[in-house]
Amino acid sequence: MQNTNVKRHGLSADESRRLCEKILGFARADHTRVNISSGVSGFTRMAINRITTAGETDDVGVRITSVFGKRVAAVDTNRLDDVSLQRTVADAEALARIAPENPEYVPELGSQKYTAVDGYYTSTGELTTESRARAASLGIKAAAEAQYVASGFIDMRAGSEAVASSSGLFGYHSGTGVASTLTIRTPDGLSSGWAGDEGSDWNTIESQRIATEALRKCRDWRGKTSLESGKYEVVLEPAAVGMLMLRMLGVFDARQADEGRSFFSKRGGGNRLGEKLFDEKVTIVSDPAEKNAETSPFTNTGQPVQREVWVEEGVLKSLSYSRFWAMKQGVPAKAGASNFIMSGGDASLEDLIRSVKRGVLVTRFWYIRPLNPRIISFTGLTRDGTFLIQNGKIVRPVTNFRFNQSLTELLANAELLGRPARVSADESSSAGTPVVVPPLKVKEFTFSSVSEAI
Amino acid sequence: METKLDRRQFVKLAGAAGLATATGEWNEAVASAQAAAPGPDASEKDLVMLALDAVRAAGASYADVRISRTNTESIGARERQITNVGKNETYGIGIRALIGGSWGFAATRDLAKDSVAATARKAVAIATGNDRINPVKTALAPVQKVPDGRWITPHEIDPFTIPVEQKAELLFKTNEEALRVKGIRFVTSNISSSRDSRLLGTTEGSLIQQTFLRMAPGVNITALSGDNSDFQTRNASISPRGAGWEYIVSLQMNENVLRWAEEAAAKLTATPVQPGAWDLVLHPSHLWLTIHESIGHPTELDRAMGYEANFAGTTFLAPPEKVLNRFKYGPAFMNVVGNRTEAGGCSTCGWDDEGVASQSWSIVDKGIFVNYQTTREMASWIAKFTKVNQSLGTAYAQDWASIPFQRMPNVSLQPNPQDVSEDEVIAATRRGIFIDGNGSFSIDQQRYNFQFGGQVFWEIKDGKRVRMLRDVAYQARTPNFWNSLALLGGKSTYMLGAAANDGKGQPQQLNAVSHGCPVALFRNVNVINTA
Repeated sequence: MQNTNVKRHGLSADESRRLCEKILGFARADHTRVNISSGVSGFTRMAINRITTAGETDDVGVRITSVFGKRVAAVDTNRLDDVSLQRTVADAEALARIAPENPEYVPELGSQKYTAVDGYYTSTGELTTESRARAASLGIKAAAEAQYVASGFIDMRAGSEAVASSSGLFGYHSGTGVASTLTIRTPDGLSSGWAGDEGSDWNTIESQRIATEALRKCRDWRGKTSLESGKYEVVLEPAAVGMLMLRMLGVFDARQADEGRSFFSKRGGGNRLGEKLFDEKVTIVSDPAEKNAETSPFTNTGQPVQREVWVEEGVLKSLSYSRFWAMKQGVPAKAGASNFIMSGGDASLEDLIRSVKRGVLVTRFWYIRPLNPRIISFTGLTRDGTFLIQNGKIVRPVTNFRFNQSLTELLANAELLGRPARVSADESSSAGTPVVVPPLKVKEFTFSSVSEAI
Repeated sequence: METKLDRRQFVKLAGAAGLATATGEWNEAVASAQAAAPGPDASEKDLVMLALDAVRAAGASYADVRISRTNTESIGARERQITNVGKNETYGIGIRALIGGSWGFAATRDLAKDSVAATARKAVAIATGNDRINPVKTALAPVQKVPDGRWITPHEIDPFTIPVEQKAELLFKTNEEALRVKGIRFVTSNISSSRDSRLLGTTEGSLIQQTFLRMAPGVNITALSGDNSDFQTRNASISPRGAGWEYIVSLQMNENVLRWAEEAAAKLTATPVQPGAWDLVLHPSHLWLTIHESIGHPTELDRAMGYEANFAGTTFLAPPEKVLNRFKYGPAFMNVVGNRTEAGGCSTCGWDDEGVASQSWSIVDKGIFVNYQTTREMASWIAKFTKVNQSLGTAYAQDWASIPFQRMPNVSLQPNPQDVSEDEVIAATRRGIFIDGNGSFSIDQQRYNFQFGGQVFWEIKDGKRVRMLRDVAYQARTPNFWNSLALLGGKSTYMLGAAANDGKGQPQQLNAVSHGCPVALFRNVNVINTA
C-alpha cells in the first residue's frame, strides 16, 4: 500500500526543503547544490538454521557542491547541527576555490519538471524485526523439517532523497526496497538450492514460496553428475538473466561510444544508434515510475530521469548523454537508466524448458566480472541448481560451470522469452537497482570449464 | 606540519616506505607512532559509557559499542582536467547487544544522549525479538581487558595536511607524462586518503581508541588504435596501503607512468596468447589477489561453518576436523601467515573490533593447512583441533553503521629464505608467461575454480622475457594450482598488494586488506585467450 498518512522514514519533503534552504543560506559560492539522502535500513540474517544477526541503522547524508567559475568541489557529511553544516559549506567552498578548473563543468540546473513517482510502500517502511524474524523462520522451518540447513537474508530500506540548487532547483522522492533470499543446503554440503524475491512492496515478497522453492531446488540438485563444458542451449531463470543484465545498465552511454571505447562505437568514429544489434524479440527500457520497481525521477545533478527506450526490437534506439557531452554534440541531455526493464512474452519457464532439445537450466550466477569491454563479455559461475534438459525435460542435476560469455551475443542469440518479473539481481542480495526481466532461452551459451563447487 | 618536501626529505621518505620487510625499523616506527596515538575524546567516552549502561540496564549479557568518524578526501583527474575533488565525513554510533544467544544491532548518526540511549535499547529489543522467535546459544572466548588502549597507523606525513593543489599537480603531471606516449588517448588518475577514528567500549571493561590511515592511489591508461577498431587499457600496479602521504611520494607515479603508458600502447600490437598449458611467473602485483581469493577467503571459519552460504559461499576447507593439520595446500616450502601486525598492511591494527590484540599466526605451515581466521564467537568451534582457545582477532565492522563480524586479516605468503631474485625465477622457466598487475578475477563460491587475468603479459622463452602477449587469463583449481608452485623469490622480491573494498556479509560490508608475497613460479597452468 502506498499510504501517505503514515509517518515515513527519512526526511519529509518539507523537512528536506527547509534543510536545503538553510544550507543554501550559508553558501557564498557562485553556485551551490545540495543532495540529501535519509532513512533507515534494516536486516535479518540467518545461517545454520538460526538467526545470526539482525539490526537497524538510521542515517542522513548531505552532500554540498560548491562552484566558483568552473572550480568545483563537493563535501559530504552526516552531521546536521548548524555549526557542522556551516563548517561543511565552508569546507566545500575552500576546496572549490583551490580546485583546478573543470572545463567540463556545466552550470547548475534551475527549476525542473519531474515525472511523479511515489515509490514508498508502508508495507516495507513499517516492517518490524519480529516480522522479518517470522519470515526468516519459514525458511528455517522448511529446512529443519527436511533435516537440511537454511541460510538467508532479508534487507529493507526506506527513505527519501532530495536535490536543490542555488538556481532554484528542488526535487524530492521517497521510496522503499526490500529483498529476501534463501539458500538451503544438505547437511553433507553436497547439494544447494536458492530462491529469492525483491520489490519495493513487502507484500509482493512470497516468503512461503521462497522457502518451498529453495527446498525443492536443493532436493532436485542432489546426486548431480558432471557434464562436459562447451556451448549449450540454456534456459536462464529470471534471477540469472537479471544478474547478467544488471551489467548492461551503464553501457548505453554516448560518450564512451563516440570516444571509441564501447561496443556501441562505430568503426571510423561515431556510434551505432539505429543499428540492429540484437534479436528482434529484445526490447529494453527504463522507467522510474514502473510499479514495484520505482526509482528517483532525477539524478544527483537534478537532471530529469524519464521513461527511455534503449533497445526496441533489437535496434539500438537511445544512448545517454551527460549534460556536457550533449552540449558538445548539440543534442538534448539524457540521463542514464535508473532501472532495467526487459520485455518478454507469455511463455512460462516450463514452456521454455519444453522447447529445448539438449541444454542447461541455470538458477542463478555468481562472481560475475568483466572480461572484454569491446564485446561486453563477462566471466562467472552457475550456482545453487544447474540441470541438464533433454527433449524438453529436465533429466538430471549437473555440476556447476564457469561461463565466458558476451552479453551482446547473448541478446543476439535470444530465442524465446518468458514472463518478466522483478528479481534479486545483486550478488549480495541487497535491495538495489530494480531489474525486471523475463526467463530466457538462448542458443550457444559458452560454458568454458566445470566447477565442482556446491 | 611542513608539507612542501625538499629533495632530501623526498628520498628519505621514499626509502622509509620501501622498508616493508625490515622489521627492526618497523618496530621502531610503530613504537614512536604509538607514543603519539591520540586517546579518547571525553564526550565520545561519555556516550560510550552511557550506551553501555543502557544495554546493561536493559538486560544484555554482553555488548560492545563503537563510535567512529571516517574522513575521506578524494581527488581525481582525467587527462588535463580535474573530474572530482571531494571530502566525506560519516560519524555515528553502533551498538551490538547479546540477549540469551541472540545478537541485536542498532546504529544512529544522532549522537544526542537520549538518541544514544534509545539506540542502545533498540539493539536490546532486536536481540530480544530474535531470541523469542528463534532462541539459540552463543559462547564468547575470553579476552584480556584493555582499559585504555591507543593505536595509530604508523606514518610520516598525515595526508590531510597536504594541500589539494599539490595532489592535483601530481595527478596532472602523471597524466601529462602518459599522454606523451604515442597511441595514448585517455588517462585517469586519482588519490584517496582516509582517516578512520574509532572508539570501542565493551561491557567487559575495555576502552580502545584507534586511528587508521589509508592511502589509495590509482592510474588507468587507455590506448586507442588509429581506426577505433581496438582499445587497450593498463591499470597501474599500485595498491592501497595503511600509511601516510609518504607512501604516495614513494610510488613516483609521475615517473613510473611512462612505463605503464608504453605498456598500454604496446598491448595494441602484442601477440595474442596461444591457449594451453603454460608455466606462470606471477609478480607480487598480481599474485596478491590470487592469494586473497584462493587462500584468504577459503580459510575464513564462518564460511566453513555455513554462515556465508547465502552470499559469499562456503569453502572447500571443510569440515574443520577433516582438513585441519591434514590438508596439503601446497609444497613443503609454502608458508602462509594471518598477520594483523604486518608493516603497511591495510588490515593492520592494535586491536580488532572486539578488543582482541592483533597478532600473527600460521595458516599454512610447511604446505599443510593448520588454522582458520576466528572471532570470539568462533574460537571454541575449533579449539579442540587447534589447541587455541582465544580469538585470533579478526572481527571488523566497516563503520559505525555496521555490525562487526569475521573479516580477513592481512594474509601473506612468506618469501624463500634464500634470496632468489626475480631474474633467477624467470631464468628457471623454459616456456612461460610473466604476469604483472590484476585484471579480471572470478572464483566460485567454494573457492575451487578460478580465472584470473592481469595487466601486462610477457612470454618467457628459455629463461628470458621475449615479447608481450595479450588477452591472457588462467583457469585453475585451487589445490592443484598451489601444489604446482615450483619456486619462490626471496625477501628482495616481497611486496604488499591490497584490496581497499573487499566485500563480504549481508548487508555487504567492505574491508581493506593487504597481502604480501614474493614473485613465484607455477608449472603447467591452463591459460585461455579472452579475446
